[in-house]
Amino acid sequence: MKLWRTLSATKLYWGLLLLFAIGVVFSPETSSGKNIFLSYGNLTDVLRQVSIIGLAAVGMTTVILIAGIDLSVGSLMAFASVVTGMLLTQEGWTPAATMAVPALAIVAFLIFAGLARFIFTNLARGDEAVGHHETVILDPLRRVWIPLAAGTVAAILAALYAASHVPTKFGVVAVLLVVPALGLLLGALNGIIIVRGRLQPFIVTLAMMVAALGIARLTAGQNSAVLPVYPGSNATADFNNLRSMLWGVAPVPGLFFIAAAIIYGALLRFTAFGRYVYAIGGNEEATRLSGVKVDRVKITVYAFSGMLASIAGVLYVAQYRQGKPDAGAGLELDAIAAVVIGGTSLMGGRGSIAGTIVGVLIFGLLSNILQLHNINSNLQLVLKGLIIVVTVLVQERNLDGLFGSWSFKGQDRKAQAGSAAIQPGKSKESS
Amino acid sequence: MKRRDFVRLSVLAAGAPLTIYLPLGVSPARAEAKWKIGFSQVTTIEPWRVQFNKDIEAEAKKHPEVELIITDGEDKTEKQVADVENLIRQEINALLISPKESAGLTGVVEQAIDAKIPVIVLDRNVETDRYAQFIGGDNVVIGRAAGEHAVKLLGGPGAAKGKLVEIWGGLGTQASHDRHDGFHEFTDKEAGIENLLDQQSADWKQAAAYDIMATALRNHEKIDLVYGHNDPMAYGAYLAAKDVGREKEMMFLGVDALPNEGVTWVHNGELTATFLYPTPGAEGLRQAIKLLNGEKIEKKIVLPTMTVTKENADQIMKENGLL
Repeated sequence: MKLWRTLSATKLYWGLLLLFAIGVVFSPETSSGKNIFLSYGNLTDVLRQVSIIGLAAVGMTTVILIAGIDLSVGSLMAFASVVTGMLLTQEGWTPAATMAVPALAIVAFLIFAGLARFIFTNLARGDEAVGHHETVILDPLRRVWIPLAAGTVAAILAALYAASHVPTKFGVVAVLLVVPALGLLLGALNGIIIVRGRLQPFIVTLAMMVAALGIARLTAGQNSAVLPVYPGSNATADFNNLRSMLWGVAPVPGLFFIAAAIIYGALLRFTAFGRYVYAIGGNEEATRLSGVKVDRVKITVYAFSGMLASIAGVLYVAQYRQGKPDAGAGLELDAIAAVVIGGTSLMGGRGSIAGTIVGVLIFGLLSNILQLHNINSNLQLVLKGLIIVVTVLVQERNLDGLFGSWSFKGQDRKAQAGSAAIQPGKSKESS
Repeated sequence: MKRRDFVRLSVLAAGAPLTIYLPLGVSPARAEAKWKIGFSQVTTIEPWRVQFNKDIEAEAKKHPEVELIITDGEDKTEKQVADVENLIRQEINALLISPKESAGLTGVVEQAIDAKIPVIVLDRNVETDRYAQFIGGDNVVIGRAAGEHAVKLLGGPGAAKGKLVEIWGGLGTQASHDRHDGFHEFTDKEAGIENLLDQQSADWKQAAAYDIMATALRNHEKIDLVYGHNDPMAYGAYLAAKDVGREKEMMFLGVDALPNEGVTWVHNGELTATFLYPTPGAEGLRQAIKLLNGEKIEKKIVLPTMTVTKENADQIMKENGLL
């Protein structure tokens, strides 16, 4: 009986396991009789190939959990790739950009100080109610920091203006600090407009999608040119580390995806913030009435989505050695698809990061298997469509995620005003 | 009950791909194939790319010892990179690639070379010189051929006279600049040739070229020759002239010479001539086989162009099964 419970909790993975089995059984073999699909190289290829969609999908999961949508992830990813390319190559730098970057770096540092505190306090406090400020990541910018930061920025700008030369090229660490901060700010802007303007997320993020694409093209300069990260530049050597295998074991972009999924999954599963997210998706008004700062949670969720999309942009440059304004075309749709395949409901309130990981892997494995068989690419599209529908059909009958989701069925439906009473599904098999 | 439903659906999910796999055969390695050659194509939407694939497939039929695997990058860098990674895992003997971008595909090309797979780059280069060979057309050469032909049509070197409309593909694309520069090497020498337009671009599209030409027809009472940087634009200009009944008083030159586009229009008498922008497909495969058989191949091959006029259009169409 217990075995069955365990199995039913992992029902979500059956589609993935089946797909994997198909891959193994029907894999073509190399001339020496090796199973190509199962080869370590092939499986790590898949993990790297899904890393960009994966990161976007992790952020998208929470957005969809609060019954929102974020169409801007593709454009934000592309914009991030362009900025990354610029920072690495100094291609197309204007004096204004030269001065903006150190300022941005400071802001980035402050934001990440806040972000770290947000994650740690939330994880440390767990399910207990937390003070309102712990659900706000842009917090450090709101207090004593502001004069301090402004002073520092002014000093740096003055120094730069005096020296009026371009700073040294950015390294990976600096880029990973500045670019995600930029994405975080743009994502937060999405959230603020949605919350303060009381607009549909669809409209706001659509506007951001269009605008960010334009900004990316303007930033990249004429003809929305590709910004190659030149071979031989220091940046490329650094960045090769970002696309290579870590200690020969796992592809770094894939690790970024997995790490983001684990951190975000833990936030959703074990913290008050996570419970608020599910509560908002379940019944926003009730959640608001029970004293949760709904608006701040929402802004945080959109900010995270923007940040993860930007990290995807950095990884795009690492993998493809170029920043490109139209790199993210269609990414938002792929991310939403992966989330929905993973069993998260577009209505909000039901779903999990674990499901999203499964959805993303199904996506990647499917492409990989079809390509290994060298099936006509047009037929591949038909098959993908077919399999996506069937997979979701399977999952609609299965409402248990892993990282704590709940269904509004049976005894869970204690329709109280404070939906804090609703517990995430207690499946002990998590993580 | 629910469990059973679930299992049933899972089987369906698993069965769907299988039912389509099985008739296709589960691609057992062809025993007679001595070489496995992969070809990574950018997209199969554009007519020129379709012809490119046709050419390489036709060539592959002549070599029973070769198994050719063609992938389609769906016009996305990430898809094309994944395709090449996939081909590397399949342990192909040689890789042909027509990159979407130079920078974006360089990394994976190097990965193939590191895996001891020789790479032949087609049409657009990558940012490394470790490849075995590069094959491509030369747009300047094509522009020169068109310019020489235009001068001949307008009265020959030294005596050419006429008013010229040139429709650009794109002011930011190298191909367009090359086709312009080569053309003007010949026409600019002629005092009698007058250029009517200043860098008008139709973005390679027929409809936009129609609009540019319609305006030109209103502004100029006499136009002798139209040069479009590709065939659809030349054809769009022809249609604009035809719609005001003036197509007979001028000549139209295009570039690309795809059998089902430019060559057909020349055959119909709509375009005066078109100039072949050859696809490197067939040559690429031949060179790859040479390389695999241990012969030395050159680092770079520039494919020649060909002038297509009424005289040879029929034959080209016959060769491609269009007549």
